[in-house]
Amino acid sequence: MTDTNTRMACLEYEALLEDYLEGVLDETSAETARQHLRGCAGCNEAFDRASGSVRLLRIAEPTTAPDTAFARNVMARIGLAEQERTAEHTRFWQPIVALGWRFAATATLAVGVLVSCDIGWSHYARLNVPSARSIEGNLFAPEPARPPANGDEVLMMVAETSHGKQ
Amino acid sequence: MTRVSKTMAASAPALALSIDRGEVKRDDRELVRLSQDGTPAAFEELVRRHQQRVCALVGGILRCAEDVEDVAQQVFLKAYLGIKKFDQRAAFSTWLYKIAVNECWDYLRKKKVRPLVYEADLSEEQVSRLDGIVSADRPPADANSRAETRELLDRMLATLPEQDQQLLVLKEMEGFSVQELAEILQLNVNTVKVRLFRARGRIMDVYRRRAISAQKADAGAPQRKR
Repeated sequence: MTDTNTRMACLEYEALLEDYLEGVLDETSAETARQHLRGCAGCNEAFDRASGSVRLLRIAEPTTAPDTAFARNVMARIGLAEQERTAEHTRFWQPIVALGWRFAATATLAVGVLVSCDIGWSHYARLNVPSARSIEGNLFAPEPARPPANGDEVLMMVAETSHGKQ
Repeated sequence: MTRVSKTMAASAPALALSIDRGEVKRDDRELVRLSQDGTPAAFEELVRRHQQRVCALVGGILRCAEDVEDVAQQVFLKAYLGIKKFDQRAAFSTWLYKIAVNECWDYLRKKKVRPLVYEADLSEEQVSRLDGIVSADRPPADANSRAETRELLDRMLATLPEQDQQLLVLKEMEGFSVQELAEILQLNVNTVKVRLFRARGRIMDVYRRRAISAQKADAGAPQRKR
């Protein structure tokens, strides 16, 4: 890239010479740089070229500053990105949430059906169907005495009773 | 706990308002912390503070004016989305510049273009015009000439290695310091100084070569006429 006839600067002085060019050295370091430049042709030539580049490149205008709406535009873009992110998040969870709701609804319906069946059954049992205990009791308990329906039955009862006593 | 969070919630709008009005001069660290806590006004203030440097950096790397603002906006968007992970061990600006450099390279990769490549050499007329501007030691007054000067310099810069171009543009045209360049390009400060010094020499070699060839062509032109 460089011309073959251009002299190279001393490796250990390049950083110092860059600082000297920038004017950021203290007086002692600047004097060291000056002394070296006086005695070294290669560094002297390299320094001359480098100094020329400062003038050459400074004629270019820097990138123009952004306009006043820049920050507002950035915040608007951030707002849009946030909305998109929220929407994406919702899109991701939506089927899972829908499935969950469906499951919850089905479970609630099933529980409702079971509870209403149980209530209905117990109510029916209380009204119409004898309980197991009462059925069991009827099986082993003696039949309650029934009053005689007519005169014949009265006679039959008396006869049975007197026969039993004899 | 509940009382603390209620107090914070109540003070957040007031805080945002004070940032909006610029009543309180907060440092970057505090603004970053507020942004991490979810105060958009704090992030907006960070954008205002760093927008110029980010645009200069993006402009320095891309060197095509039309996309600079778009890429710079993308840089701030990425910074906002990642700010909760930023641990503040480095300065906010350093972190932001790294995002900007990565974003520029992503952009160039996506567009599949190199930063700027000119095939054509400079004409004699262009070199003499550039000579005149360099001798005057100040940018031209009108916008067209300024744009043309920038283009001529870009043509010369395009002949240098990419890192040399970036160093020269960011340092001399965009005004970044050596320290900032070291942070942006993740290099040692001394390395930046050495590379910058060499890059200066290279760009001057290119300029002198062109000037000499233009002078030769200029001297040859009347002879041809004769």
